[in-house]
Amino acid sequence: MTIVDNIPAGLGDVVSDDDWYRHLGDPDPAGSAAQRTLHDLLLRATRTQVWRLRNRLPGVGATDLEDLAQQAADDALLSVMRKLDTFEGRSRFSTWVYKFGVLHAGVAVRRQAWRHREVMLSDSLPMADHDHSPSAVAEGGDLVRAVRRALESALTPHQRTIMLALLVEQVPIDVLAERLGTTRNTLYKTVHDARQRLRRALIVSGHLDPQLDRRRP
Amino acid sequence: MTGRPERGGLDRAAVERMLVDTSPYLSCDDCFARIDEYAEHRAADPSHRDELMEVHLAGCEACAEEARTLIALLS
Ligand SMILES: [Zn+2]
Repeated sequence: MTIVDNIPAGLGDVVSDDDWYRHLGDPDPAGSAAQRTLHDLLLRATRTQVWRLRNRLPGVGATDLEDLAQQAADDALLSVMRKLDTFEGRSRFSTWVYKFGVLHAGVAVRRQAWRHREVMLSDSLPMADHDHSPSAVAEGGDLVRAVRRALESALTPHQRTIMLALLVEQVPIDVLAERLGTTRNTLYKTVHDARQRLRRALIVSGHLDPQLDRRRP
Repeated sequence: MTGRPERGGLDRAAVERMLVDTSPYLSCDDCFARIDEYAEHRAADPSHRDELMEVHLAGCEACAEEARTLIALLS
């Protein structure tokens, strides 16, 4: 089976019965069947996510993508089994399971994509006027200049470092968390606080309309 | 650190990413806790609104990517 053929025949019937998961962990044939169903669901999620993100891994062939999906499904299965008692039934069980597969597959792809890439950490801005490289040209305009000033004046060096790594270098948040020995939550909070400070400074300087529309996913 | 890091430019797209308003705050863990329920609602009704989730997803590319895949899996 390759990464593109997804769900095994018959799985749809099984997962429509949301009670099967109650047998997970049982030391009997029903428990084993439930475990297989769980793994099939996770594989569907990890294959889908790996396939959607495959352009992040140029040169990686179908076999290696499949291995990545299989490994992510195995890892996700352990997470699901550990967190089974936190399932509250606010979604279908299969949807709840999918999110673990999608998470583990995304982390695996991003980690692999950045495996050989160095993450540059610096709180100094990519200032075009201080840079001799002709390619390092910052776009002109009042807003960009005001943002440069606010980055320097309103943020701490740590906030600036994290914001530049995540939003300028576009290092994936889980990759950066791993390199820094911290968590996705902590980094997101740092960048949230930095964004608040930056926006406040730009609103005060008249460069940002506080009612500016939010970007929607 | 030695030498000057080669940085991406501070272009308009980067500035836009920095200026996303991520209030009200929702952590990535709390987003993960709700993302299955959110994806089911969005898959069933694309006009479904959930401000907390939308604000987080607008400011967190990794979670947004997960939400898109989850919705695709349910669609
Ligand atoms: Zn997030």
